Amino acid sequence: MTIPITMPRLSDTMEQGTVIKWHVQQGDAVSSGDTIADVETDKATMEMQAFDDGTVAEIISKEGDTVDVGATIAVLAEEGEESSTAAKAEAPTETDTQDAPAEQPEVIEAPSAEPTPEPVAEQSAVSQPAATPAASPASAAGHEHMRVTPVARRIADDNNLDLSLIHGSGPQGRIIKRDVLQAIESSKENQAAVPPAAIVTSDKPTEMAQVVTPVSTTALVAGDHTAALTPMRQTIARRLVESKTTIPHYQVTMKFNMDPLLELRKSLNDQLAHHEVKLSVNDFLVRGCALAMADHPDFNASFGGDHILYHGQVNIGVAISLPAEKGGGLVVATIRDADLKSLRLISAETKVLAEKARTRGLTVEEMSDATFTLSNLGMFGVEHFTAIINPPNSAILAVGASVQLPVVRDGQVVVGHEMQGTLSLDHRVIDGAMAAQYLQTLKELIETPTMLLV
Amino acid sequence: MAREIEFRDALREAMTEEMHRDERVFLMGEEVAQYNGAYKVSRGMLEEFGAERIIDTPISETGFSGLGIGAAMMGLRPIIEFMSWSFSLVSADQVLNNAPKMLYMSGGQFGVPIVFRGNDGAGGQLGSTHSWCVESMFANVPGLKMIIPAFPDDAKGLLKSAIRDDDPVFCLESERLLSLKGEVPEEEYLTPIGEARVRRTGNDCTIVAFGRPVHFALEAATELAKSGIECDVIDGRSIRPLDMDTIATSVRKTNACVVVDQSWPFASIASEISAQVQECCFDDLDNHVHRVNNDDVPAPYATNLEQAMLPHAGKVIEAVRSATYNL
Repeated sequence: MTIPITMPRLSDTMEQGTVIKWHVQQGDAVSSGDTIADVETDKATMEMQAFDDGTVAEIISKEGDTVDVGATIAVLAEEGEESSTAAKAEAPTETDTQDAPAEQPEVIEAPSAEPTPEPVAEQSAVSQPAATPAASPASAAGHEHMRVTPVARRIADDNNLDLSLIHGSGPQGRIIKRDVLQAIESSKENQAAVPPAAIVTSDKPTEMAQVVTPVSTTALVAGDHTAALTPMRQTIARRLVESKTTIPHYQVTMKFNMDPLLELRKSLNDQLAHHEVKLSVNDFLVRGCALAMADHPDFNASFGGDHILYHGQVNIGVAISLPAEKGGGLVVATIRDADLKSLRLISAETKVLAEKARTRGLTVEEMSDATFTLSNLGMFGVEHFTAIINPPNSAILAVGASVQLPVVRDGQVVVGHEMQGTLSLDHRVIDGAMAAQYLQTLKELIETPTMLLV
Repeated sequence: MAREIEFRDALREAMTEEMHRDERVFLMGEEVAQYNGAYKVSRGMLEEFGAERIIDTPISETGFSGLGIGAAMMGLRPIIEFMSWSFSLVSADQVLNNAPKMLYMSGGQFGVPIVFRGNDGAGGQLGSTHSWCVESMFANVPGLKMIIPAFPDDAKGLLKSAIRDDDPVFCLESERLLSLKGEVPEEEYLTPIGEARVRRTGNDCTIVAFGRPVHFALEAATELAKSGIECDVIDGRSIRPLDMDTIATSVRKTNACVVVDQSWPFASIASEISAQVQECCFDDLDNHVHRVNNDDVPAPYATNLEQAMLPHAGKVIEAVRSATYNL
């Protein structure tokens, strides 16, 4: 018997997955629990394990292929079975079933054109083997297995819209009339592309209306090319349009004197160097943002339609950009109970999560439940920027670099370090004066940084 | 001028007016005369027209429907009342094999201008054998017409048209609607057979229903409107001929269709409309046609189970939400 390996559902909202990397190849023996592939979902890259023992008989989905949940992506041969023949082991030879068509060839090697991703069950003896290799819809070219309702297709055709650019909100990603109408509406409004401070987390989309990313319908000219969206890019596109179009954003900026913090950081890092501890400015900021919550619980809250939800834990999300070779994009790693953790622990956790995010990818758990987000572009020399709120958070702090510049201290122009921090806020939860007060608290903590040590 | 009268009175007015107008018309059935009709539809008609034209029969559906068919072939215009369409099953050979086919089989020599009418559908705890909805099964037969009014004015107008029609017309009435009051014009009018009526308009979904389920559809549409989902509610009024033009026009506008049908789902009226909508509106559909039918079981006797088995507004709401992706 062959055992089909199907694309698993790795998160509640996952409908498709992309095989990023195979850790096994045809002929390899695998045991239940072995990591056999890295799979990218709409939220994260996750390890996929084997559930059975056997030998890899066939790899169906190539690295980079995106397939529906449940589609067969590989075939295992059970122990004792020739792996090289397992994939076609069940192809009928001389069949004893009377219903067999007369012209049935003796050996069927070419799989039927009919997509049959579902394993065996009701197939008759003369039908194709359990896991028909190329029959998986994964191998069909892009658009063919896109689900589109007739009227949605007609309206898209009438408006020269490329359906592959439209996110389907119906069952199993089906593109419905509403999706196409919204895409037309969006393109009419000629909105700009997604703003830069894009953020993805694992939070489920809110109950707000499904929002479709504005779509450019510009015709291609020589030299242009298109690239399919990665699941992460799709999620960024969907969530940030939703955030920016449904949350009443506004921004408040404050400057921080960074000299005391930089001095303290240097002193601590010098003393901890032999422990291989190196605290970053960001670690101090995570701690500072978390401690400031004690005085400002509205910043650790979510808008709930007819109520405001105040979170019992202070979980700071840290935005981490991903390298281009991993598909780019960014994720938000969660430092849980950041108000209860020391700088050293925050630093260590952040390093581990950032490293993992950039290599193997974070689990859903590691990206869930942030109640406030910190986005830092200081390391790129950026002095000031604004970020888009990461729902269901009510605020996000965008910080730039600590810049050396002439400053006035005690009536004298001296050389000092300053950093700008800009809060983006959900006005449904937080008013301007509250934002100013939070920044004031944060300023006291940062400018008296020993406060962050206790 | 219109006044409010009950559904049963509208039926009686149709019959009495037509009997005054045309002396070939007579009413025959169980308890229609002396008892004024099992459901009091023919109250007073015996006194008005006498025992020659208001005729009580024995409990023998095969006999009196055959007698009616013969009378129709010979030039009279019988109205045959079944106390319940459930009981018509014993006369299936007369009703389905003779009446609708006679004109064809006789090479056009004998038409059968007869009206069969009576209660159709669940009356409320009548059990499996007495809760028949015959529309799906009977409408399968070519040569007959089938009307299924949901309001008193249509009951009168359609029944008058049926009595004047030269083909056998099956008039399906709901016991549960007989006491429903509605405005009925005092002056004479006819409601044409084969024309649906749009009872409510909306752009989001088309709901098609016949007979009693029209009321479930209207109740559902009122409820759905509260959450911003506006429905076209089409009261089909006749099943054969079927007014597909009205249905298709609506579906082309709404792109979504729910059919409410009080018969079983398999090979049902809802299945038929679903097939026709998909044939003529394929490129207009944003979802498959949703059917709301009786559950596929014999009618239970227990009141709670019976309610669970029948279509109702809640099921219609659920279907519309699903059809419009508003779950």
